[in-house]
Amino acid sequence: MIQSSVLQDLLQRFVSSTPDIQGAALVSPDGLPISSILSAEMDEERTAAMSAAILSLGERIGQELARGLVERIFVEGEKGYSILISCGTEAVLLVLAGKAVKQGLLFLETKRLVAEIKPLLD
Amino acid sequence: MEILKIGITGTVGAGKTTFVRAISEIEVVDTERVARDETALIKTTTTVAFDFGRLTLNSGQILHLYGTPGQFRFDFMWDILIPNVHGYVFLVDTSRPQNFRASRRLLNYMKQKTQTPLIIGLTHTDCQGAWQPEDIALTLGLVDSNTRPPIIKVNATNSHSVAQCLILLVEQLLKTDFNVI
Ligand SMILES: Nc1nc2c(ncn2[C@@H]2O[C@H](COP(=O)(O)OP(=O)(O)OP(=O)(O)O)[C@@H](O)[C@H]2O)c(=O)[nH]1
Ligand SMILES: [Mg+2]
Repeated sequence: MIQSSVLQDLLQRFVSSTPDIQGAALVSPDGLPISSILSAEMDEERTAAMSAAILSLGERIGQELARGLVERIFVEGEKGYSILISCGTEAVLLVLAGKAVKQGLLFLETKRLVAEIKPLLD
Repeated sequence: MEILKIGITGTVGAGKTTFVRAISEIEVVDTERVARDETALIKTTTTVAFDFGRLTLNSGQILHLYGTPGQFRFDFMWDILIPNVHGYVFLVDTSRPQNFRASRRLLNYMKQKTQTPLIIGLTHTDCQGAWQPEDIALTLGLVDSNTRPPIIKVNATNSHSVAQCLILLVEQLLKTDFNVI
């Protein structure tokens, strides 16, 4: 088992690095929380379960509707974005960002974070 | 053509995914993931969104089958699926008394979300330590045998048994004056 404090630190740094990134959570593919930086009104357990559910459906769409391997799921809301990315077989990353965020930067930063997390989980 | 939406629910390992797979005429859309919670003690994977299958009855009705996840952390999926079904099967693994309390809680949750007809499907009745139907009914809080939903034994791994169970539910539906959405 990897030290959860290492993951927590990584997520914390990621969220603090850009003002428009508002939260991040790492969850298991079956929907259990691993580590998260979320605002107090967001329930960690529910967030984890929802993240796993939506990623599974997105991946199913990629597969059945011949879109290939799913890189990320991007939910655009009135007030901001939620992004879900698979971190290998062990985890799913959820990132929450405000509307003002630059999408290109967000994707880049997220990819970088995934690359940092993945080796810790294997 | 009449489409009936049928929910298949119950706690972890009751046999929801197996049930839908046993009877569906299309390849089932399932969302199985490797289980890391207590589910791993029973089986390797668990449903994280839903199972979807389809079955055409001789009578011409088409059943859309929606299997739910079983853990309480997925209650948002129950909220999405269950209020929209015409009726549902509530599966109980009769050989796992440690799950009966959760079953009862889940059943009460479902009843609050929808008043549509339901039947209780008892699975794993062939397994060691399986409880009798009457005892299960009591643990679920279904004390009055006149008003409680029909209870049927079902082996989710057997398509014939699953068909019997669905036919019973459809009969139940036809007795009530339901509106097809
Ligand atoms: N012996 C026996 N095995 C059964 C019966 N019904 C189901 N099973 C087995 O019980 C297990 C049920 O697993 P699933 O179908 O994944 O259960 P589920 O309700 O979808 O579980 P979650 O999605 O994790 O909530 C499978 O291994 C089935 O083969 C039964 O009546 N008898
Ligand atoms: Mg299942």
